[in-house]
This record gives sequence, C-alpha cells and structure tokens, in this order.
Amino acid sequence: MTRRRWLISFMCLMVILALVLTACGSKESTETEQTETPSSSPSSGQETEEKKEEETEKPKEKVTFTMFVAVQGKKDMYMNETKIGKILEEQTGVNFKVEYLVGELQTKIGTMIASGDYPDVLVPDDGIEAVVQAGGFIDLSPYIGNEKYPNINKVYGPIKERMVWDDGTIPIFVFSTQVGEFQPDPGPNMTAFWIQRRVLEWAGFPRLKTVDEYFDVIERFVKAHPDEKLIGFTTLTDDWRFFATTNAPNHLAGYPNDGEVMVDLNTYEARIYAGTEWDKRWWKKLNEINAKGLFDRAAFTDNYDQYIAKLTSHKVLGMCDQAWQIGDAQAALSDAARANPEEDGYRYFPLPIVFDETIKDQYLEPVQFVKNRGWGITVKCKDPERVIEFVDHLLKEETQILVKWGIEGETYLRDENGRMYRTQEMIDMMDQKFNEEYGFTMFSWDWPHWGTASTLSDGNAAVPGRQPEIFELSLTEADKKFFQAYGIKTYADLFSPPDERPWYPAWGIPRGPEQQLFEQQKADVQRKYIPKLVLCEPEEFEKVWEEYVAELNKLDIEGYERWFTEEIKKIMETVKK
Amino acid sequence: MDNNLALTKTATSTKQKPKGRKSFFKLLVQQRALVLMSIPFVIWVIIFKYLPIWGWAIAFQDYKPAKSFWEQEWVGFEHFKFLFTNERFLLVLRNTIVMSLINLVLGFVTAISLALMLNEVRNMAFKRTVQTISYMPYFLSWVVAAGIIQNILAVDGVVNDLLKFLGLIEEGEEILFLGIGEWFWGIYGASIVWKNVGWNTIVYLAAIAVIDPGLYEAAEIDGAGRFRKMWHITLPGIRNVIIVLLIMNIGYLLESGFEPQYLLGNGMNIDYSENLDIFVLNYGIRLYNYSLSVAASIFKTVVSFILITAANSIAKRIGEVRLY
Repeated sequence: MTRRRWLISFMCLMVILALVLTACGSKESTETEQTETPSSSPSSGQETEEKKEEETEKPKEKVTFTMFVAVQGKKDMYMNETKIGKILEEQTGVNFKVEYLVGELQTKIGTMIASGDYPDVLVPDDGIEAVVQAGGFIDLSPYIGNEKYPNINKVYGPIKERMVWDDGTIPIFVFSTQVGEFQPDPGPNMTAFWIQRRVLEWAGFPRLKTVDEYFDVIERFVKAHPDEKLIGFTTLTDDWRFFATTNAPNHLAGYPNDGEVMVDLNTYEARIYAGTEWDKRWWKKLNEINAKGLFDRAAFTDNYDQYIAKLTSHKVLGMCDQAWQIGDAQAALSDAARANPEEDGYRYFPLPIVFDETIKDQYLEPVQFVKNRGWGITVKCKDPERVIEFVDHLLKEETQILVKWGIEGETYLRDENGRMYRTQEMIDMMDQKFNEEYGFTMFSWDWPHWGTASTLSDGNAAVPGRQPEIFELSLTEADKKFFQAYGIKTYADLFSPPDERPWYPAWGIPRGPEQQLFEQQKADVQRKYIPKLVLCEPEEFEKVWEEYVAELNKLDIEGYERWFTEEIKKIMETVKK
Repeated sequence: MDNNLALTKTATSTKQKPKGRKSFFKLLVQQRALVLMSIPFVIWVIIFKYLPIWGWAIAFQDYKPAKSFWEQEWVGFEHFKFLFTNERFLLVLRNTIVMSLINLVLGFVTAISLALMLNEVRNMAFKRTVQTISYMPYFLSWVVAAGIIQNILAVDGVVNDLLKFLGLIEEGEEILFLGIGEWFWGIYGASIVWKNVGWNTIVYLAAIAVIDPGLYEAAEIDGAGRFRKMWHITLPGIRNVIIVLLIMNIGYLLESGFEPQYLLGNGMNIDYSENLDIFVLNYGIRLYNYSLSVAASIFKTVVSFILITAANSIAKRIGEVRLY
C-alpha cells in the first residue's frame, strides 16, 4: 500500500516537472529560429543587379512574414486569406500573418521591447517613441531614393528629409503621404460641433457661427420640446478619449488640432491652451449651460459605450468631437434613416463653431505630415530586402487601385471619361463581412500607401471615399435638402479652407519622456478640475478656476512650450530648404 | 497554500518533541512523499518569486529597455524621491490603504456572517440555492460587473428611479452616484461584497463542517440555544482559519485591487478612486518608465513584509495560531 502511494506521488512530481520544463523550453526554440538576423544594409548596386537576374530566372520562394499592428479592432488574418491579398501573394510570393492589438498597447509594446521579440514588421502606433529609442527598427533611408525601388521613391522621396528622426535614421514608412493633387474630403469626417439635424430644420436652417448662436438654438429647441427629456449638450470623457473634451477651446479659438498646443502662424511659437482665457471662456460657457439644465451631467462619469448609446438614443442635441469617434453612432443613425426617412432628423450635422464672428474656423485639416505613425521593419526581420520589394510593389499605382478600389467590374466601374464609380448595388454589397474577406479592411490603413488625399495619374481619387461621384451617390433625399438649404456641394464647403501649416499636426512630432510626463500630469489636473468647472455653482466658478490654474502652473509648462517651439522651428527650416 | 499550512503544522509538531538531528533525517525519510510533493512548488516559488528580485536593480537605474544591464545609467534613489515627494502618490497611497481596509473588514465580517447563517439553514435545497446565487457574481469579470454597477447607478438607472418612486428626490434631481468622490469608497465596498461574499464563505463553511457534531449535542443537552451554540462552538471552531486568513490578508494591504477602481473611476472621483496600481500604470507602464514601476513595487513588498511579520508576531504573543 505504502509503496503504491510512493509511486503515485513520484509520478505526479515527474508530470509537474515535465510541464514546467516544457513551458520554459518552448521559448528557447523560437529564439534560436530568430537569431539568424540578416544584415540590414542593402547590398551595393552591382551585386543587386546580379541578384535580380538570378531572381528573375527562378520563381521566388514563397515566404510568410509576421506583422503586428498595435491598434485594436480588426480580425487577425493571413494576408492571402483575403481576395486582394491572394492576388498580391501571386504577384510577389510574399504573404503576411497580420495580428492586431488585444488589450493594452503600452504593455504589449513594452514586452516586445524588453524581450527583443519583435515581429518582422511592426506598426507600433502610440508606442513608436519607445520602439525607436530601443533601436527596434532598421534604418529605411538606404531604400528611399534608391533607383531599384521607383515606387517607394515616388511616394517617399519628396518627404525623405522630414522622415528622419533625431538619431539620423528613418525608422518607419509614414502613413501620411501625398501623391498627386490634394483631394478634399467631401464627407462629414471632420472635427466639428455637431448638432441634430432636426434642430437645424426646425430653426429654418440658420447659419450658425458662434458658440452663443449654437447654444441659443439648442436652448430654444429644448424649451419647445419640454416632454422629450432632451439633453442639450454632452461631451466624451472616457479614459484617453478625454481629449475630445479638452480640445474644444482650441477649435473655438480658430486653431486646428495640434494636440496640446496652439501654434502661431507667424512666429511659430507654441503655447498650451489649457489655463488660458480661451479655456476659461469655454468652461464658463459650459458652466452657464449646466446652470440652465442643458448640460449632460452624466458626461463626466459615463464611458465610451454609454456615450455612443446616448448619441443613438435621439435625446442628445449636440457635442463637439472628431468624426471617427462618433462613427459608430452616425452609422447606426444613418442606417435607421435609410430604413425610415422620418428618422433622418436624429442624425448629426457638422458645424464650424467659433468664439466670435471675427475668428476664422480651422476645423479642416491642412496637408498632414504625421512623423510618428507608420509601418516599420524590425531588426528581427528575416529578409528586409524581400519586404522592401513587396512595399515597392504595393506602392505601384495599379496595386494601390487594387487595394483601395478593388477589381474593375466587381467593386468599381469606369464611365466613358475614365471616371471611376460604384453602383448602388456594389455599395450595398460591401458590408463589414465583405470588406473583411475582400481585404479592404486589412488594407484600409495599416500599410505603406498613397495617402487618403492622393490622386491617381488619371485624375481619379486614390481612395473611393474622396471621389465626388461616390459621395454624391451616398446622399439621401434629406441630405440633398440640407445641401440646397445651405448652398453647399460637400460638407467641407461649410468650413473655411485650412491655412498652410507645414508642421501640422504638432502631435505628430515624436516626443521624449519629459513631454509625455507633462502631458500625463496635465491630463490628470484637467480630469479633476474640468468636471468641477462645469458642474459647480456659477458663483464658485472663479474660485475653482483659480485653483485649476494654480495646479497647472505647478507643471513645467514653459519647458514644454519651449521644446515644441524649437521642434516646429526645426521643421520650418527643413521645409524652407 | 494548503500545502504550506500542512507543512508548518507538521513542522511545529516536530518542534514539540525535543530530538536530535538524527531524528530530523529520520522524519525526513519517513515523510519523503510529502517532501517530494512540495519540491515543484518550491521550484515554482524560486523561479517566480525569488529570481525576479534581481530585477529590483532596475529601480535604481534610469532603465531603458533593450540595453544590457551594464549599459544602464544608475540614478540611485531618484525614482523613490519622485514617488515620496509626489503629492499624487501620497493621495493614492491613502486611497489604497483605505480601500484595502474596507475590503478586509467588510470581506471578513460579511463572509463569516453569511457562513454562520447558511450553517443554520436546515433546508438543503434553500441553502444550496442561496449559496449558488451568492457566489455567482464572483465568476463575472470585473468589466461586466462594472458595467452593471455603472448602469444601476446612472442618472437614469434603477437606484435613481427607486428614489424617485419613493419620493425622496424630484425629477431632475437625480444623483450622480459615481460623480461624488466621497461616496466612491462606499460604492467600492458594496460592489466588493456583492461580488465576493459567496465565494469567501466557502472556506468558512468547510471549516465549520469539520467541527465535531458531538460538541453541539453536548451544548444542546446543557440547554444552549442557536445563538449560544454559534458563539461558543461554531466561532471558536473556525477561529484558527480566521486568524490565518487575516494574517495573510494583512500582507496584501497595499494591494487593493486594480479593476474595480480602474473601471469605476472617472475624473470626478479620481481623488478617491485612484490607487497605487493605477498610479503605476499611468506614470510607470504607460510612460515606459519601468524603473518607477519597480520602485513602487519594492515599496509595496517592503511594507507587506513588515505588516505580515508584525501581524504574525502579535498572533504569537497572544498565543494564537500563526503562519510560522
């Protein structure tokens, strides 16, 4: 009996030990696989030509690279599982295993950096500064301006100098590129003060410009509909999306979204707007609105899901936000309006609201250059040359048409003038599932591409969403009524054209740890004081404001502003050259 | 855990018999099965609890990932200085300790009371039902639980509707429960109890089950009623379990949890909801400042160590059971 027990316990022990050892062991085996890092520098001209000849003789071996995108929301897939991806694989022999972020970005990127366990290709989004600092990317500069890659040259050649980071390398292919003429966005995809369409219709399509006019209409509408329990104005405060709330005074003062700062057009001085008179004016206004019972008090406790739910509840009349954040709500409301045109009034309409008549609104974005968002090849990449060849292929005009427009006859047509368009059936067919399987979802953004505002060589927009024909087709009868009433052809016509700002957006300038710490501390102060400023009794406003400013002044505002001013001046020098 | 308890028990029992080294080895051979069974856990503890202590060095460096250990820049106590001179950190420390104490006190009181009450229920079907229902929330993830709590406490939630129905507040005077900082600790306490009470009773119910029924019979003959039996037999019967659990939980005093505070916290209650873990997330991990995170965790470990030693020696002095 005792011997038997002995045996059992011994076997248990062995099993547990075996488990522990295999758990540790598997890690080793993956690492040995990746130790054979090839040299990152491209071979010299002659060699490559020889290589090329060799390569053309025998068909290229199929190869699969791993790619990680540090953005949530898309489905993990192999590139060749999509229709477009399959074609690309046939053309190049290259396949990608694409994975997207689950959970917290900083943790995931932090683990990658600490372990050195990178995928072949990485899109680090907000984690970029840390990866670059840790030397996670290979330098792309040898590949740009290299005759071997004409398509890369075409897209990235003109902005090569601006893509160089402080350490002298080019770590990523940025996403914000521009090929050909600038195509303005016809759709309602801007940052704006939004208002329910029924409010405008009820008020007789007024041209609202100032904050006072905006809230006046909302107030009158709420008073005229006392039974509906309407919410006049709400705002988004959930976690990192809090910027939707703090950015408002900046826009009202006539500046585009440069992040935490306003940049003077003449002196290039960067100043933070938190704690300024602009800031005060906006919170004071919201405080008044709250005193009148028009403000959504729950805005400061609700999360993002609750915010979207509120917007689709038909109760909220207005908010200030970026279009992509309210995208889900707008889509749901549009679908409902398509099914039942009577519900059209619950959709939201963008307005260029500013503080005073004299201020020129700057909601529309000028040509962008975001230096810290892009697609990089890591030091662990098995074969950087091959990836670069793929990128060059991807940036060909035909390939760009394939990934953005699809296949002629299937997802787009050309009329006799060569203009590209889509029929209503095609648009109806392209639901989320279709886009995922076709590859439109995968290639909508996360790859080196021709920027959204680019134009093809035949004058068509590079991206269907910017093609006027496509936009017109998407308009409903109700849309047309609004456009006629305001005398506009696209939503952008409501807004002032953007001034030239070569540094735009300033939040796209890579920041160091001190700047990031400042932003965190600033956000913490605002997170605490903004609810107080808005919800306190009007008599107490001045007192709370002073506390808020005092807290802000404890931070190193001056250092932050100085740093930004210097960076912007540096950019202006590169641009002028 | 149980394994450890068993070991300490056998260890203390051997101490009572004064014998030489020889008999220690004899005992070791005798109990070889037990010893062998504990080896994997010892290895586990070494790998996951002792080896990482090497990483404490990071707290004294300006740690940059991907650089080798010798390339790091040493900064001494810089990060600790940042922590202890930071107003926010002190506030956060207060919140952590208060919420932990709430958790500790409420957790013990409610779980023991529920266990005692369940023990008195004679109808088995009813007892099982109550037990199952009470520990169901334990299996909900905090994300879901927080969503439920947020909805219940929302301006248009059940609680406000109820208050309106009872006529305690007027239309338009709805209370923004999660927006009142001072109330956060109460909401936190209530949520914790709701979520964990059923689960926490299990260990006490198990302890009650091993009490000799003969004791109850004897008490009954002596004329003891239900409450007398509870007070004089059940509670003393589970005292050892209570004390051991209490000592262990005191060691976790700086761990007030992360999820409920993170999910229910917002700008309006931030001064009461933010705890150490959230602070470390915001200022350490999210800014890739790993040194600061490690400094904070060293602080936590040291405090826990002091607390657990103190609690144990107090238990020893008043002659109660203890961990070691």
